[in-house]
Amino acid sequence: MTRAPVQPLRRRWLWGAGLTILLAVMVSGVLQWRQYELLDSTTQFNNDALGWSFLQIEIEQLRLRNRVQAALADPAADDRDALQIRYDVFVSRIGLVDHERAATVMRDEARYAPAMDKLRAFIGSADRYFGAKPSLPPTPEALRGLLVQLDLLSGPLHELSLATSHVLSQRVSQRNEAVREQIQISFGLTLFQCLLLVAFGFILLRQFRALRERGHRLQALADSLEVARAEAESASRAKSVFLANMSHEIRTPFHGLLGMMSLLRDTTLTRQQAGFLDTARDSAQHLLSILNDILDVSKLEAGNLQISPEPLDLKQIVRQVDELMRVQARAKDLALRVTLADDVPRWVRADATRLKQILFNLLSNAVKFSNAGSVSLAVRRGTGATTVFEVADTGIGMDESTLARLFERFVQADATTSRRHGGTGLGLEISRSLARLMGGDITVRSTPGVGSCFTVTLPLETVPAPEDAPDTSAVPLDAAEPVLRVLVAEDHPVNQAYMEAVLDKLGHRATFAGDGAEAVRAMQRDAFDVVLMDLHMPTMDGFDATRAIRALPAPMNRVPILALTADVFPETQARARAAGVDDFLAKPAHLPQLREALARFGAPANDAVRPAPATDRDEQPLDVATVEQVRSALSPHQYAALLEGLFNVQDSTLRDLRQAAARRDLAALRNQAHGLKGAALSLGLRSVAGAAARLHQTPDSALDADLIDSLDSLERAMVHTRSSSRQQKLVG
Amino acid sequence: MTHPIATMTRRARGLALAAWFCGWLAATGPAHALDAPTGKVLLSVTGHITVRNGADAAAFDMALLEKLPQFSFHTRTPWYPEPRKFTGVRLRDLLAALGAPARANVSAEALNDYRALIPPEDWADHDVMVAYFLDDAPMLVRDKGPLVIIYPFDAHPKLRTAVRYSRAVWQLKGIDVR
Repeated sequence: MTRAPVQPLRRRWLWGAGLTILLAVMVSGVLQWRQYELLDSTTQFNNDALGWSFLQIEIEQLRLRNRVQAALADPAADDRDALQIRYDVFVSRIGLVDHERAATVMRDEARYAPAMDKLRAFIGSADRYFGAKPSLPPTPEALRGLLVQLDLLSGPLHELSLATSHVLSQRVSQRNEAVREQIQISFGLTLFQCLLLVAFGFILLRQFRALRERGHRLQALADSLEVARAEAESASRAKSVFLANMSHEIRTPFHGLLGMMSLLRDTTLTRQQAGFLDTARDSAQHLLSILNDILDVSKLEAGNLQISPEPLDLKQIVRQVDELMRVQARAKDLALRVTLADDVPRWVRADATRLKQILFNLLSNAVKFSNAGSVSLAVRRGTGATTVFEVADTGIGMDESTLARLFERFVQADATTSRRHGGTGLGLEISRSLARLMGGDITVRSTPGVGSCFTVTLPLETVPAPEDAPDTSAVPLDAAEPVLRVLVAEDHPVNQAYMEAVLDKLGHRATFAGDGAEAVRAMQRDAFDVVLMDLHMPTMDGFDATRAIRALPAPMNRVPILALTADVFPETQARARAAGVDDFLAKPAHLPQLREALARFGAPANDAVRPAPATDRDEQPLDVATVEQVRSALSPHQYAALLEGLFNVQDSTLRDLRQAAARRDLAALRNQAHGLKGAALSLGLRSVAGAAARLHQTPDSALDADLIDSLDSLERAMVHTRSSSRQQKLVG
Repeated sequence: MTHPIATMTRRARGLALAAWFCGWLAATGPAHALDAPTGKVLLSVTGHITVRNGADAAAFDMALLEKLPQFSFHTRTPWYPEPRKFTGVRLRDLLAALGAPARANVSAEALNDYRALIPPEDWADHDVMVAYFLDDAPMLVRDKGPLVIIYPFDAHPKLRTAVRYSRAVWQLKGIDVR
């Protein structure tokens, strides 16, 4: 900029101004000192009094003359002392004008020196009579002589006093002139100082203004930087959202691809074709995992990834991880050791999905980077309320510099391993971000060639075991699943085909709707057990379609709706739930998840396990799927006969139950209820089965009122079911 | 501390008290008479004074003046080219000895009938002196003597003014306390 050369110039200017002011102040100081001295010496030496002194001499000369004359006129009254004093006083006055300073003052006055000579001559002769040591007596003759001399002095003394007054007035005017001059100079200097001061002030003002301007400029710069930062941040956020959307968009068709490949694998293929297909599927799986990683990272960056902790069985989680990793480890001939310390709480609050994600990632890495030896997962209690998961391997290990960069994005131990082992390099970053989101962290220690040990420390809150906790590990996948009528609202043809194939494989009957409006029309036209709803569709999306279905008359509005979505944002899920969606199925919907979800929402058999939705479904007396299954398995006629048989014994059954209740023969009651439940279940009589099941589970402590209540509800269910089955022409 | 009077007998105590009272009177009272001058009278003080040795004045010869506390200083004056030593009695001490009011105006008169009024700001606040020695020697009338009122001009720049110089009366012969 041009500021650099200006700076010294301005500084020189300032220096110059400062020095000038100093000089001016010094000059005026000297001047004032001079004035002071002039005044001081004037008074000190009392020069102005010289005129007065000469006048006094003149007066004393006259007084002395008078005294001498008086002494001559009246010698009898001669006052010797008075004469002496007059003389002495006269002489003392002469001393005041007869000295060096007076001579200096009167230097240019020609009359001074002769007059002084005359005075001195007079004193010389008078001192003979009146001096300190008089040599002659003051005879009248002598006095007369002195009188003549005194008279002779009158003229010169008068002249001298006139001359002195002239000289003095001259000096006074000279001094006044000098003082005036000095005052003028002082005035000029003061004026000059004022000007300098004004100039100084002006410079100061300009400096100040420049400073303020610079401040403004800096502020503006800071503001624009702030704006730029905000823009950059929003751009970055937009990029993250775009990335998340793209991954999602990619995953949707990708899912169709994977599904199709797995279906293709089940068809008759040559060995070579099967090999090709396996390779293709592996590649696709890998690609999908990369997509998932990217999606996670973008969610983490956008701050959209939320941890939703809920009570979970840590033992079960570890078992699941163990089971899944065992396959991978076995494939590489590695020993997998999973240990769970006794002091680790079994029930904790945690996000199961994310916890498993971390453990899978670390264990996968351990397996990936170990070629021999073992991989272990040890879960133990840490300090405080923390739980420690240690994943150790006997793999290739890492050196210091690698460890330092390990958790950075896209960093892998080294480029060569990256190529050999694959992966995005995002896994560790995601894992650590997740651990930190949970309030914990991941640390690592490693020795090259010996192995690595990753330690996850998480503050997991211990919770009491839920009372209705199903021992999920003991729940077998039900082999005999009812056939469900599934409405699939899905616009994508590939996904439609995939869903059709999967549902077919599960033994369900799928009906497809290309958009939300079509789905609503289908609901109005046919009865369905469950709806699989894609949330993103043209014309009418899943949200609106769900709302429209929920607005239909009963019982159509109660059909469970499962949202199919790859959209992972919690906001979306909250919106969907608000619209009336019961649950979510991640897209792509894998077969096991789909089967589990359909069993949960479509099958009445699971109602006992999940009592809350069971009461809801009791109101739907018939489990259409089971009914259809049995009707098709036997024949509508046979089914009708079975149903009729049940209804025929209905009254006697109820009577027996009531009698048992009256006797409080609970064993008999439970026994009969159990039999009824079995029959009702096998015929698809949902509400009857439910009521019978509750009766069967009647505790010993049950009150009579409770029993009567249960029996009443069973009777209501049976009456209701009977009329329903008549309506639906299941019985004649 | 035990007062000595407390240890005496009653009679002795009365005598001692009387003696002490007389001493106090002599030291502070106005009844102290001034001796009559024996030599040539140099100065006569008149006006509001309580101590006199004449009908209406206190007359001093050199001996009486020299009895008063002596004081001296060097100072420059307009009348001598060099600083000179003046010795005499402070006007303050002189007036106190004569029982003059603390803040009286003083009129000083010279042999040539010159008169100047010296206010108490001068004589009470400064060491204004009635000098009888110049450089330790008596002054003749022709040397502005025998008595001179002199200010310590060098002690304070405020004193170096024409007004103060005019109050330094030479050939002093009388002082009138007003």
